[in-house]
Amino acid sequence: MASPLTQIFNRISATLHSSRRNHSPSQRTPRGNINQEKFRCYSVCVARLAIMAMLAILIGLLTLLTWHFTKVYTRTSLNALAYGLRYELLQRPMLRMWKILNSTVEITTSQVKLSEYVIRKYSRAENQAQQIELYEVMRDVTWALFASHKALNSMSIKYRNGFVQAFHRDLRDKNTYYIYSNLYNYTMIGPYDSNQTSSNQGWNDQMIHGNISAIWYREPLDPDTGRKTGKQKEIPPDELLNIAGISQVPDGAASWHVAVSKFTNSPLLSAALPVRDEGGGSIVAVVGVTTALYSVGQLMKELVELHGGHIYLTSQEGWLLATSSSTPLLRNSPSGPTLMMAVDSEDEIIQSGAKWLDKAYGGQLPVNRKLHTAAARLGHERYYIDSFFLNLTRLPMVGVLCIPRKYIMGKVDARAFKTLMILISASVCVLVVGCICIFILTNGVSKEMKLRAELISHYDARRKAEASSNFKSQFLANMSHELRTPMAAVIGLLDILLCDDRLTEEHYSTITQIRRCSTALLRLLNNILDISKVESGKLVLEEAEFDLGRELEGLIDMYSVQCKKHNVETIIDLSDDMPKVVRGDSGRVVQIFANLISNSIKFTTSGYIIVRGWCENLKSLSDNENFYVDQKALWSAFQKRLKRQGLHEKNTSCKNDNTMILYFEVEDTGCGIDPSKWESVFESFEQADPSTTRLHGGTGLGLCIVRSLVNKMGGEIKVVKKNGSGTLMQLYLLLSTPPDIPRESYRLKFSQLNLKVVLALNGTMSRTILSKWLLKLGVPIWEANEWNELTRVLQEIFKPTNYSKKNEFFLIVVDIGLLNLSTDIWKEQLNFLDTFKKVAKFGWVLNHDTSNTIKIELRRRGHLLMVNGPLYKAKMIQIIEAVKKETSPELTVNTEQLTFFKDAEEAINDEEKGKIGKKCLEGLRILLAEDTPVLQRVASIMLEQMGATVVVVGDGAQAVEALNKSADWTADCTADCTPYDLVLMDCQMPKMDGYEATKAIRRAEMESESESGSHIPIVALTAHAMSSDEAKCLEVGMDAYLTKPIDCKLMVSTILSLTKTQEADDN
Amino acid sequence: MDAVSQLQRQFVEYTTSLYREGYLDDQFTQLQKLQDESNPDFVVEVVTLFFEDSEKLLNNLTTALQQENIDYKQVDAHVHQFKGSSSSIGAQRVKNVCVVFRNYCDEKNLDGCVLCLQQAKNEYILIRNKLEALFNLEQQILQAGGSVPMMA
Repeated sequence: MASPLTQIFNRISATLHSSRRNHSPSQRTPRGNINQEKFRCYSVCVARLAIMAMLAILIGLLTLLTWHFTKVYTRTSLNALAYGLRYELLQRPMLRMWKILNSTVEITTSQVKLSEYVIRKYSRAENQAQQIELYEVMRDVTWALFASHKALNSMSIKYRNGFVQAFHRDLRDKNTYYIYSNLYNYTMIGPYDSNQTSSNQGWNDQMIHGNISAIWYREPLDPDTGRKTGKQKEIPPDELLNIAGISQVPDGAASWHVAVSKFTNSPLLSAALPVRDEGGGSIVAVVGVTTALYSVGQLMKELVELHGGHIYLTSQEGWLLATSSSTPLLRNSPSGPTLMMAVDSEDEIIQSGAKWLDKAYGGQLPVNRKLHTAAARLGHERYYIDSFFLNLTRLPMVGVLCIPRKYIMGKVDARAFKTLMILISASVCVLVVGCICIFILTNGVSKEMKLRAELISHYDARRKAEASSNFKSQFLANMSHELRTPMAAVIGLLDILLCDDRLTEEHYSTITQIRRCSTALLRLLNNILDISKVESGKLVLEEAEFDLGRELEGLIDMYSVQCKKHNVETIIDLSDDMPKVVRGDSGRVVQIFANLISNSIKFTTSGYIIVRGWCENLKSLSDNENFYVDQKALWSAFQKRLKRQGLHEKNTSCKNDNTMILYFEVEDTGCGIDPSKWESVFESFEQADPSTTRLHGGTGLGLCIVRSLVNKMGGEIKVVKKNGSGTLMQLYLLLSTPPDIPRESYRLKFSQLNLKVVLALNGTMSRTILSKWLLKLGVPIWEANEWNELTRVLQEIFKPTNYSKKNEFFLIVVDIGLLNLSTDIWKEQLNFLDTFKKVAKFGWVLNHDTSNTIKIELRRRGHLLMVNGPLYKAKMIQIIEAVKKETSPELTVNTEQLTFFKDAEEAINDEEKGKIGKKCLEGLRILLAEDTPVLQRVASIMLEQMGATVVVVGDGAQAVEALNKSADWTADCTADCTPYDLVLMDCQMPKMDGYEATKAIRRAEMESESESGSHIPIVALTAHAMSSDEAKCLEVGMDAYLTKPIDCKLMVSTILSLTKTQEADDN
Repeated sequence: MDAVSQLQRQFVEYTTSLYREGYLDDQFTQLQKLQDESNPDFVVEVVTLFFEDSEKLLNNLTTALQQENIDYKQVDAHVHQFKGSSSSIGAQRVKNVCVVFRNYCDEKNLDGCVLCLQQAKNEYILIRNKLEALFNLEQQILQAGGSVPMMA
């Protein structure tokens, strides 16, 4: 049991070692993955082997135990039984022997007693006749006894005088004989003689042998009746049987011995007893009884026949007395048959059994001891040997029983063997099945392990990829910052160059071109920065109120310039219910539309670009079922979004109840987008058609930024199907509106006016939209899209017959493009229009490139109502308002007044046209807080060149102090404005940095608000360009934000916009 | 006149080399633009200011980095200032070193900082020499009666 176990363990450890050995050198190689795989395989293999080995051990143990216990229990119980059986088997022949002996003794004794009695009766025999009578009586008595014991072989009486009487049963021919000696040869010897002589002396064998002349007769007898059946025959003496003589009872006591007769082949047991005369004196006769031991042998044979064993009886010396086998017990020797030793028996088993016993006990059988052995090897079989010692006084005997083990244990052994076989095969089966199961199960486990490992590696890879993408964004953010700085410098320097008066026209145009390119490049950089900001999650949306309509109109104004060149109409159509003011990040909203519109412009060569806008209140929206399908889709998407964003979003939107969903459409008549690309155009660096890059340029970032921003504002954007060519983008934004913004009702106003309008515009779309809108407001209109039509319409309207009513008044809106400007005909046309001056007001829609001569001419003729195209609702309202007030020339709505609210960027554009005046900052007092002397100097020179007065302070604390002083001074002098118009504040300064200083200044302003209510614009100067810095700057109360190195142009425009706003506010 | 034109050519070549080798950038040109009749020595003035400021800052940085416990915030502030002033006069290479220096500051990498300080000093001395040479040339031109050519 132990050795196979150790073998298994050895093997397992060997496998482990080998795997380790295989593994350890390869670990150093760089291809760790493969080795890891291998190692995993090995470990699985080893685990499998271990489990299998355990199973094998377990099953083996179970099998062995089962087998052992079943075997042992049956064996012990069987052994007990077998012992009983053996004992019984041995006991019975012994008992029989014992009985035989006893009966022999009894018979002998009774014969002796009877003989004594008879002999005593006839002791006074006087004559021969009496003597014969005695013998007759003795014969009858003896017969009676002999007949009553069938087992007796012979019975003899030998008288003192040598006369012999004997009965004999021949076992071979089943005859019974009476044997007697011739009476006549014996002399009558008086019993007294014998009385007188000593019994010891009177009898000897010599006498018998001397009586050789005596004639012996044998008479066959009827075995039942004892009558003579045949004639007597003479036989030689001692021929048939041993007659017990005096020699056998030397001491007068009963004697035993085993005799051998010629006629039986079994030993005989003979007993002899003396018959004494009256008074117990001398021996008068000897009675001998012999019993054949044949019956014992028979019994034994019967007993063991069934068991296939052997029994034999020996005398103490080892003479064989009886066996269960049929081999002869006697040996022929020259002196007649003699007894045989057990070791010489012809029966092999008996012989070998006897030999075994001899060998085991050295021939000295332990007296009075029973012997039981369970494992004696005789021949080729194992035998049980039991011996039993029968201690008779004269004839101690030993019985030996040999039973083949096979007989008792054979079945058990066979069964045990079978059981073992079955158990082993069963356990082998179980083991095999178990191993297969383990293999299959662990196979699953190992597969799962592999999958899991793969999953983990994938996860790692994904994390790495995410990290690298993050790094990319970070890198882009940093890079674009680094790139922006030189770009700003380039642009700034170009601006400075443009200021130079000495440039030739050629230089000027080239530089303008360079500047445009640089701006484009900067825009691209900004786009990348935006993308990376969005991706790195740094984009923070502002929350400020702004006028959405105005922003969008400004945007349209801006792009219309570009569009005019392309002969593309740009139209904005915002519904009247759009909130005037919304909260949000105006810059980003404008960016969305700027990107969309510029995108549309890029792909539209003719036709129009239209921006539509309408809105729904979040609450009222669910009640309104009439919006069309796309809107519905948008709405459902929006609801989904709401659900996704969960309660948080809902709470914020419910807090101020007037969150609006602003829907927008940007439609163009360009080449359109293939439906399969509708989704992908919003991906980074994705363009609808790769060939467009060649045609139109661009990086494909615009729409990606748009979508990111729209999503950030809680909206969605998508491309939808459009009738006809072109693209239709729909988007919605979630913006909140500040409460209680009153809405003007144009309808009321205009209907009161009793106004009639003639729209003479080039663009079909814008005209249609405007006319629809005006019609809805209840204003009757006429349309014309070219000069001839206009004349026709005008003549129609102003026919003297029709034109009668006094209180209604006409407005004629004329696009300057309707006039034929290429030749001088336009003056004629103006003359024609002048004829209607008395009955109608004129509004002129100018183009950005309308030459000054035309403007001057118009002004000269009293057409003061001029707006820059394109015409949209807000401008229309302006015109109408102006007309309504019957305006004086001073209040003419001109370009400046319409657009003065435009943001800083537009201010640049405006100023660009007329070039920046060198002294545009004339009269401004600027406080510069900057610690670096170099920057101090540079900035102050820059500003001074612009005509500003600069006061320089070294840190934040000084700045605060200077402002406070100036405030005091202001208070003293009761001046209307603070001495400083603006503060330029470096963010990082010693003692008190820009943020702190700004906070302090704002605090001071708050405190003194009751007195002056001033708000000094503070512009941050910082070397950082991230939005977070910007946010921080704005958070502490700064108004604008400039990056170092200072871009002169940008600085000027910023300062201008801020100081202008200030003025406007002051006004 | 030949001497003057030679000097002028030399000046132009020298300036171009300064731009080409990256010692200076457009900011310096912008400075030169700012110089006019009202501020005839503006560039020299500003550059001198830069020299003074830089030497002060470099000394500060050297002492700050020799401290037992280095106040990286302080170092960072100095470097930031140095970066601001150098970028304002257009000393591009000094500025670039400052950018790297600030990164090391953020990482609190002393070895990197010391290395960067060394580099910054080297760059500073280089640019100082270059600029001084430039001003010398300028002086020579002026003394020779020529006008300093404008770099466009």
